[in-house]
Amino acid sequence: MLLSACIDLSSGDAAALAAELAEIDAIGLDFLLLGHDSDGVVVPAGIEALVTMPWVLGIVRNAVVVGVLPALHSLPFHVARALSAIDILSKGRSGWMPTCANAPRFDTAYGASYAVPAGEAVVKYDDFIGATQALWDSWDGDALVLDKASGVYLDSTKVRRVHYEGPYFSTVGPLNAARPKLGYPLLFREPAAEIVGSTVSADVVIITAGSIEDARAQISTASVAPYRPAILLRTPVDTLAAILAIAQAVGADGIHLTGNLDAQAIAAARALVPATVFRTGDCWRSRIGVPRPVNPFSKAA
Amino acid sequence: MANPNGRLHLWAFLQGIGFYPGGWRDADATPAAVFDRAYYERVARTAEAGCFDAIVFGDQLQGRDAAGRTPGRLAIPTLDPFTLLSVMAGATTHIGLVATVSTTFNEPAEVAAKFAALDHLSGGRAGWNIVTTAHVNAALNFGETELLDKTLRYERAQAFLDATDVFWRSACDGKSEALKNAWFDFAGKLAMPCPPQGRPLIVQAGQSPDGRAFAAGSAEAIFCAAPTIEAGRDYRNDMRARITAAGRDPDLVKIMPGLAFILGSTDEEARTTQARMHEFADDALCIEYLSESIGYDLTVHNPDAPIPIEEIVATCEFPPADIRKMMAPAVESGRSLKDFCRDYAGKPRGHGIFVGTPEQFADHMETWIDAEACDGFTLQPAFMPLELDVFCAEVVPILQQRGLLRQAYQGSQLRNHLGMAA
Repeated sequence: MLLSACIDLSSGDAAALAAELAEIDAIGLDFLLLGHDSDGVVVPAGIEALVTMPWVLGIVRNAVVVGVLPALHSLPFHVARALSAIDILSKGRSGWMPTCANAPRFDTAYGASYAVPAGEAVVKYDDFIGATQALWDSWDGDALVLDKASGVYLDSTKVRRVHYEGPYFSTVGPLNAARPKLGYPLLFREPAAEIVGSTVSADVVIITAGSIEDARAQISTASVAPYRPAILLRTPVDTLAAILAIAQAVGADGIHLTGNLDAQAIAAARALVPATVFRTGDCWRSRIGVPRPVNPFSKAA
Repeated sequence: MANPNGRLHLWAFLQGIGFYPGGWRDADATPAAVFDRAYYERVARTAEAGCFDAIVFGDQLQGRDAAGRTPGRLAIPTLDPFTLLSVMAGATTHIGLVATVSTTFNEPAEVAAKFAALDHLSGGRAGWNIVTTAHVNAALNFGETELLDKTLRYERAQAFLDATDVFWRSACDGKSEALKNAWFDFAGKLAMPCPPQGRPLIVQAGQSPDGRAFAAGSAEAIFCAAPTIEAGRDYRNDMRARITAAGRDPDLVKIMPGLAFILGSTDEEARTTQARMHEFADDALCIEYLSESIGYDLTVHNPDAPIPIEEIVATCEFPPADIRKMMAPAVESGRSLKDFCRDYAGKPRGHGIFVGTPEQFADHMETWIDAEACDGFTLQPAFMPLELDVFCAEVVPILQQRGLLRQAYQGSQLRNHLGMAA
């Protein structure tokens, strides 16, 4: 079973945070979300996630590190290139979780012009993700050649403009960054009310379910075409045993721990949640059973 | 008494594979390593061992394509600067980390939060090289079709800096502050760590009157292109007068012209390396290099024919009047397209290039400092990582022996390295 948890690194000095992260990494956590749980919802951390991720990935050498981002306030071009670099330098251990949670807090800082009318959040959410993914499609995964003898650095036919046009974002590309190792970083989601009806496929979905029936219903809702995401059941440490039993009964993929967690608490949970043994050499998409995104512009596609 | 911080400041401009567009082809260059985390950790530690003030990465908000075609022979730096500096923060303890970030296609809340994060994780070593963006393709990446004119871009830059200052202040004193100016209107703060430096070091790189005016009012370090000692002195004198007029102490602002370098154990060896750098830049590369610089795909034209100036100015992505002016002498003399491209690529980006021995390089820098032509240099190795290694192993000890460069860092925050109170 996969084990996931949030951490917010906005206070404490860097050396102490690094020591804590090293301890967490040694436990064998699978997903580390840079965010925090607030009233049962994952929200962006008090420290900006995209700048924090590369630093964390230097210490956390096993888990996928996931940036929780404000979906209604971030700009696709900046997010696409940062995650490209993060994914490439971590050799495919990046995830992102754009969220509409806590939007009013961001509206206060970004200005009233960012406020989205009721019911429109899902439109902007889908558009933000769509524009970001389109920019990743501006490069083929094998565009870089780096052949010193012939002087060919990259194949010009494998980098292109994508001319993405959406209701909130339009972007021409190409991105000034290569395609991520994972194709796209793993997309995490919670099925919040604001994004019901989203047409974007997530790779990992965190659900809250108190019974087997409830969990089954939510998995079926989350598993719309074209593929079933990895499903994590959320629980605080004190109800872990009961929720783990539900997760195992319904064939969920793992557990997302909530609450104020330190390395000790995560280690105790890991002792209960049996670790999945991965095949050597498998990328994280293979490990969790979600497909590699097809680049619609790529000639090989 | 000698200044333990030295009187020569060194910044390392570590873009991609180095200064020369063909340098990635050198036998000692490691172009694939540029996509490895370990490479950035290693070069950051090297620059820190060399007692550099800071590492800086440039930035652009557009692809490198001209009319949709991305060059195939140029080593393109593709990794996001904030990401690289965050990697380096984890691998070092003293060296400053300066990110170039545009105020044109960004939001103050996000930029303030990013610098707060970098300053927090690095223990007070973040710097912000403030630029504005004038590339039409960058606008298209952010859903804009029109560019702001230069004066408005700098007005926005000032309003943007004022807004980020509000966020950093409120992160440190906990009080929420609203702000309303011609560009931004927000009600309050965003949670972020109080940056150990209060705010990142403010750096600027403007040559135009608008850029200089902005730098005089705000910058704590300034990049410039100064190909000669006279140009350096003129620029520094002009900036010091402007800084004084703006009511600030010019001794607290460091003027850091760009300087590329190629080292050899003899003068001849260094020149041989330079000749090799030029050879790597073959005709096809030089044509792509100029294509990118003017936003027009020259690869479709006959390289041996005269410059097709009218076709270029009809569709190029950069202001046609500027391009016509730049090419006028070559057009008049009937120079071929490939020869003009070679001339252009031979002098990348208008910076000075030093070619010689470590001893000569130390002399060169000392002469500039003695002449008050600058406060230090923003050094660009000809190719990476070898030239940086050679610099740190062979030039740094000479500079230290002469009392020009610090023997050890005098503080752990970036402002300490510039001789300012943290």
